[in-house]
Amino acid sequence: MASVTFVEVSGTEHVIDVAEGENVMRAALNAGIEGIIGECGGGLACATCHCYVDEDWTDRLEEAEPAEIDMLECTASQRRPTSRLSCQIIVDKTLDGLIVHLPEAQY
Amino acid sequence: MATTDTLPAAEIPAHVPPELVREIGLTTGPEFLAAPHDYMAKLHQTHPPIFYSVNPLVGNAWVTIKHEDAFFALRHPEYFTTAGATPFPRDPNNYFHFIPLEIDPPHHRKYRSILDATFSPKGVLRLESYMRKLADELIDSFIGKGAAEFTTDFGRPFPVSIFLDLMGLPQEMRDTFVGWAVDLLHSQDRMTAGLAMRGIEAYLAQVIAEKTAKPDEGVISQIIQARPDGTPLTEREIFGFTFFLFIAGLDTVFATLNNIWLWLARNPDRRLEIIAHPDQINAQVEELLRVFSVTFSGRTLTQDIEMRGVKMKAGDKFTSILPACNYDPEVFLHPTQVDFSRPRKPILAFAGGVHSCIGAHLARLEIRIGLQQWLRRIPDFDVQAGTNIEYWPGGVVGPKTLPLRW
Repeated sequence: MASVTFVEVSGTEHVIDVAEGENVMRAALNAGIEGIIGECGGGLACATCHCYVDEDWTDRLEEAEPAEIDMLECTASQRRPTSRLSCQIIVDKTLDGLIVHLPEAQY
Repeated sequence: MATTDTLPAAEIPAHVPPELVREIGLTTGPEFLAAPHDYMAKLHQTHPPIFYSVNPLVGNAWVTIKHEDAFFALRHPEYFTTAGATPFPRDPNNYFHFIPLEIDPPHHRKYRSILDATFSPKGVLRLESYMRKLADELIDSFIGKGAAEFTTDFGRPFPVSIFLDLMGLPQEMRDTFVGWAVDLLHSQDRMTAGLAMRGIEAYLAQVIAEKTAKPDEGVISQIIQARPDGTPLTEREIFGFTFFLFIAGLDTVFATLNNIWLWLARNPDRRLEIIAHPDQINAQVEELLRVFSVTFSGRTLTQDIEMRGVKMKAGDKFTSILPACNYDPEVFLHPTQVDFSRPRKPILAFAGGVHSCIGAHLARLEIRIGLQQWLRRIPDFDVQAGTNIEYWPGGVVGPKTLPLRW
């Protein structure tokens, strides 16, 4: 298990335990965290699982593949260098303590 | 609706509480067919959120009308599998799966990822100028007459031509494909449907051979050229994928356009509203998709599960009545109102989860361009006086004909 923290725009934090191998989008949905939608279920077809990875963690993630980079152009909220699609972030022990910031909107 | 005793008790599993059994004639009954979207919206007033629908014509299943439940089922394939959940007759000696619909995760990504780029929001934009030209050509063919039968003059050829272009198939085949679609999906007898099936199979076999020898950039070639795990798809997989794209993409867009244009014809003030706010086109399309979604999501339970106190068992069928879910008053205030300024929430027109419609962005674009091109040239139109609108029975909900006048 790894701990993942979701930070709302308001600053409110939600800390959840995520099983290794699970992606951050599904973890958010399973935990009922509002602000992640994941309409297409992790298929890189909707850009509604957008998050801003905390700057302390960006280097520790695997790089985004071209399909994700393409879809990041479709986010409703401003795209930043720290933008990732959370369905592509697969949790493992090295990500224990991961912090992601939720965008203002997914649409 | 009253409980039913028209079926022998053996047809309804023992664990289904009698008070949850309902016969609503989903997609088949006269009340449903008189005004299907109104009917499905009203279910929230008269029915429990989850109940057991009995239907001698299409079979029995648990159904949900709740937006939240539909998303739950769609997001948990480990409970709700698509395997065996699509009723479509296939030759058991030459079986094929509807790919990727009938493949559960994780294998389904292997197929779906082949077409991700083509169907992405950016990918479908490549077709935009083709679509506008096509819409204009279709409109050219009838605008001078001041009349059209919308379903045959626009609703059918528009998505079929786009489909052909996308697949890498010749436009000369349009009428043939239209005929196959009609015979396969709307004929009254199995022989007509069977003949259409054989026609499509023979044609696609020939096309697959041609495109294996001479690949192009169309979707069929992409499927043939794909090497997931380093190996090509089998012939049955290529066929199942291509055939599924054919069925999935034609009747659905056809029905959606027909539903929308019927509403447009009956609502002149709303047409003006759409025309007056061109920058809102995406929100307009999304809201129209919410109120006029056309299909359902069928699953089979792989494990026992309890939802809202209802105990369902492995093997039970479960259908999310997506149009009804889109009218869930807990999610959409005043759900039957077409309100273009609603805050956007996920709609179920394209289902959701891993099997969410791969054509969603394509469909949105088709509807957007259809609206823009049509309303620019024919902003004012009515349904022909005296028309009685009838709906197709079956799994895709829309009117049979739509005679328009201007």
